[in-house]
Amino acid sequence: MKSISRYFWIGYTAARANLAYVIETSSRIVFMTVILYVFMRLWTVVYAGANAERLAGLTLSQMIWYLVVTESVTLSAPRIWSEIDQDVRTGRLAVQLIYPLSYVGGHLGRAMGQRVVRFVVNMAVGSLIALLLVGPIPFHAAGLAMFVLVLPAAFLLDFLGNFLVGLCAFWLESTVGLALLYMRTVQLLGGMLLPIDVYPETIRHLVKLLPFASMVYAPGRMFVTPGTALLFESIWNQGLALILFSGAVAVVQSVALRRLFANGG
Amino acid sequence: MHRGVEIRDLRKDFRIVRWHGFRRSVTEVTAVDGIHLDIPAGQSIAFIGPNGAGKSTTIKMLTGILHPSSGSAEVLGFTPWRERRKLAYHIGTVFGQRSQLWYHLPPADTFELLARIYELKRDEFLSTRNALIDRFDLGPLMQTPVRKLSLGQRMRAEVAASLLHRPRILFLDEPTIGLDVIARQELRDLVREWNRNEGATIFLTSHDAGDIEQVAERVIVINHGRVVVDDSVAAVRKKYLGEKILRVQFHEQPADLTSPGISLISRNGYEMKVSIDTDAIPIQQAILRVMELAPVADVSVEDPPLEQIIARIYGEAKHGVLP
Repeated sequence: MKSISRYFWIGYTAARANLAYVIETSSRIVFMTVILYVFMRLWTVVYAGANAERLAGLTLSQMIWYLVVTESVTLSAPRIWSEIDQDVRTGRLAVQLIYPLSYVGGHLGRAMGQRVVRFVVNMAVGSLIALLLVGPIPFHAAGLAMFVLVLPAAFLLDFLGNFLVGLCAFWLESTVGLALLYMRTVQLLGGMLLPIDVYPETIRHLVKLLPFASMVYAPGRMFVTPGTALLFESIWNQGLALILFSGAVAVVQSVALRRLFANGG
Repeated sequence: MHRGVEIRDLRKDFRIVRWHGFRRSVTEVTAVDGIHLDIPAGQSIAFIGPNGAGKSTTIKMLTGILHPSSGSAEVLGFTPWRERRKLAYHIGTVFGQRSQLWYHLPPADTFELLARIYELKRDEFLSTRNALIDRFDLGPLMQTPVRKLSLGQRMRAEVAASLLHRPRILFLDEPTIGLDVIARQELRDLVREWNRNEGATIFLTSHDAGDIEQVAERVIVINHGRVVVDDSVAAVRKKYLGEKILRVQFHEQPADLTSPGISLISRNGYEMKVSIDTDAIPIQQAILRVMELAPVADVSVEDPPLEQIIARIYGEAKHGVLP
């Protein structure tokens, strides 16, 4: 237990350090405000055009609140791949490995600390904007509890995906291209701007099974329409994706650290 | 008595793969070439060599960061690359060019985190931390964000942070780089004192001859991955650091210099640079001789650059002068 608490302390320290990045946080807030306003206008037109009260099972208010959550999740993601890339290229890995910590665990603690702070700030601002634009949606404690159950697994999955991309720095000259590809995939197949329920029938079920949906769509949908069926489906998908991603990270990290060529002398 | 460091035929080869269009070429580079060393616990070692000699690679293997290609090493009874996390509880590392302090937070926060990472008992942590704050004069800095500290203050905090868990071996990789003369001297004193009082083994790499002379008792010179000199600092000083560089600025053109033990390196107008062999002539007498040449405007005495000493040592080894 004591050894696990070390990683929580790393997270706590990272969260405190992240509070220093006020300007960076502000820039994300401005971006989110613009996105939410544009999409609110867009969806208003779509709902009016379709003359429907619900689309993909969501009212206009729920759609905007879904966007608040998915934008908050996506914009809170730390650039783990870039950290790993720098560790490898600059020899900073030597500093990371002098501690009695697991390399992945140390980065996980750091990433979670950063992400929690960013997510809370994004959600607070996003909620305020949504309240002003479309008002509140029905909310209950059980629903919030379900959302809180799904959210950490979503963060963990995205961390592992990012970490895998970062580990490619052991083989590739640059991981920037791969990271961009990963981020765009998370945004498109994760349902950041459009809930997966509005995707064409033929690909909808497949996309929901992919790990990317577990990172973005699952917490977003759970926030606006919580329910036990959705909860079990999300947990099942997240569990499978976690097993897959953890296994991949364990194998790739072990190979990577063995072939390590640390710079600096 | 704790076990120190035992290294047997340690070797590290790197494979460098290059692509020339569709053609792939693989070159094997030997960074460490069969090093064999015994370092007793509590000894203070200067591990030196030119850039690319294999110092950092050796240290990275001894701290468990790199796996060797062949050979063996035991550090405090642990095989570093197999037991990195167990060994990490007993070693401390200071990298002069990399920080372990959190940039936006005060050192106090990093110290708290390190106490958790090393699983220190609360009372032991507080007593060590307070002793280090006192000895390293960190009191006024503990609540200041690291980004606002000077380099000298930051390095004092870096070294103190690496000592919080009372490591039995301290690896120092160019700890005084970029520091001014006073901060450099302070850091050397603190490291030497820690070595003497705590009995910790010190493993120092530096390009600064002063660091080596003042901190270490034994010098190991490595070049092309091999140990070319392994001797006491006193012996190396006698043999290789017996030279001083004197740089003098005169008010007028100086006369020609002819004196045993003093040789001219360069002369440019009113400025003269000479080398003094302190075995042949005492430094005080040599300075007086030079100052008699013309009225002096400015004078400075320097150690010869370590690179030059290493080049000389390596040259001797290559030509079979050294064993």
